Amino acid sequence: MGRIFRNLFVAGCVVLWLIPLYLLVVNALTPVAAYTGRPDWAPRGFAVWENLSTAWSDAGIGESFLSSMVYAMVCGAAAVVVAAMAAFAVVVLPIPKPVFWFWLIYSGTLFPLQMFLAPLFGMYADGNLYDTRLGLMLVYVAWAVPFAFFLIRNQMTTMPPEVTEAAMLDGASFRRIFWRIHVPLMGSSLAAAFIFQFTAVWNDLLFGITLSRSPDIQPVMAALTTLNNAYASSGPPVILAGALIVSLPTLVVFLVFRGLFLRGITATAR
Amino acid sequence: MTDAMSAATPAATDGPGAAGKPLRIRRRIPTRTPHQAADGIRAGHRLGHPLVGIPWALPALLFVGVLLVYPFFRSVYGSFFEDNGFTSHYTGLDNYARLADDPIFGRSLLNTVMWVAGTLLLPVAIGLAIAVATHRMRFGWLAQLLIVLPYAISGAATAVLWKFILTSEGSLNEVLHGIGLDSLARAWLLEWPQNTIAMIVASTWQATGLNVVLFAIGLRAIPRETVEAAELDGATGWRMFRHITLPQLRSVTVVVVGMAIVNSLKAFDLIWVLTQGGPARSSETLALTMYREAFRLFHVGYGSAIALVLSIIVVASSWMYLRRQMPDTSAAKN
Repeated sequence: MGRIFRNLFVAGCVVLWLIPLYLLVVNALTPVAAYTGRPDWAPRGFAVWENLSTAWSDAGIGESFLSSMVYAMVCGAAAVVVAAMAAFAVVVLPIPKPVFWFWLIYSGTLFPLQMFLAPLFGMYADGNLYDTRLGLMLVYVAWAVPFAFFLIRNQMTTMPPEVTEAAMLDGASFRRIFWRIHVPLMGSSLAAAFIFQFTAVWNDLLFGITLSRSPDIQPVMAALTTLNNAYASSGPPVILAGALIVSLPTLVVFLVFRGLFLRGITATAR
Repeated sequence: MTDAMSAATPAATDGPGAAGKPLRIRRRIPTRTPHQAADGIRAGHRLGHPLVGIPWALPALLFVGVLLVYPFFRSVYGSFFEDNGFTSHYTGLDNYARLADDPIFGRSLLNTVMWVAGTLLLPVAIGLAIAVATHRMRFGWLAQLLIVLPYAISGAATAVLWKFILTSEGSLNEVLHGIGLDSLARAWLLEWPQNTIAMIVASTWQATGLNVVLFAIGLRAIPRETVEAAELDGATGWRMFRHITLPQLRSVTVVVVGMAIVNSLKAFDLIWVLTQGGPARSSETLALTMYREAFRLFHVGYGSAIALVLSIIVVASSWMYLRRQMPDTSAAKN
């Protein structure tokens, strides 16, 4: 009895969770011209390539897709390197007041983004960084550093100090110790931090709509929002195709690197 | 399997007599790392000058200091000014006094409370239920994978998808008409409070998977002996859950609840894309109200005041959860 109830509950949840995804795919298949104004529950035609290409080129998702790919890759990688160096300083090197530095850097993730937006906008307007790729990338790196630092630092504290000591005795410089010992040994942690920050930057909307305006600069979520605001004119199938395009990279990363993907967020629970 | 568990438990208990009491995993992060704790003076000499670490931390400090910490304090400072983006003058606490009798702020605060309560009620409770139900189940991992899938989708894309479901001509109303429940069909996104509730449901779809994963980790960490002992004593079903499983999940629950509260307070993308806080600003939360005041209405000072209120709420309500991440200051003193 209990077992049947349990199986039914799980099956019901799975079905409920899959329905929105099913609707997404089925309606992204519908040709725009055949769309009746009411959602479809069964595939009606197969215009997925047309819809995808309309969303990609006419609606400008493609341009933003490539920009965002650059932002997410470059900023994710830069943030991980910067955060790993800071973790190395706080954990391995004899820095005074490690707690203070920890909190100074970690505090960046505690507050809602709204707390930074208005002054950032002012600074960017004054510094000619508003609506530039460089400006967005700088803020993405800064935003990604604190949590990457938290993850890498936690992992680095578990490394035995003898490793560093042995390298010191052999006369290795700090730079050599960092690149030749810590970075290779922390490989999976660095990868988890990179995947986490890649996803965060890719999924960002708020910085994108606040600090940029032109279609060729805006990140992909901002472009999707613009497309969504034209709900009536561009037709739901194209908008859903756009949503499908922007979700693919993170879905693929998730399915391929599931362990690393979840490790970032679950590290706080263990 | 058992080895991993027994290896995990000694560190997790506060003392030897913790068997009867709920297991409290007080894992604190040592700030004095083995590197530094070994022998302060000698290690310092060997590794060089105490400031040798500064260049290594400098890039991170520059990024975070210039682009996050400085704007933070600038926001606090700016909240004491009446600022329309071009001119500004000092008004003291006026912005905060205005909050008290701004009906939009009141509605926004109420919606924020609804988001927090709804998030605890739906994604956390459902997440726990699914994690318990799929624990040690055949194909349970597959069910978990499917439910966590939306977590990989952005808030904006989730909103686009759910707009399609929740709009007045959307799939949900279509289903309700189809099964003869016409009276339940309504303009989900156009009236308060159902617009806020509908969006909480949409965010439940996205956020529950993460909680399932976290609770599943907690469930796997429960020692098998504890469960077996309870079984011998005749505990099953609800009693087992209430008196064994739930207390053992305490530390995971703190994390899940903390993260859920923080995420619900920070929720922006989903609401912005679904309703832009409308209609007539009825579905705004504090995160949205700040954005609209500062960047649409150019009440920059007022927006900063709202941002500070939101920040205080975020930090205060996540205190329990943050405390776990705090480096162990008592160890640093010795």
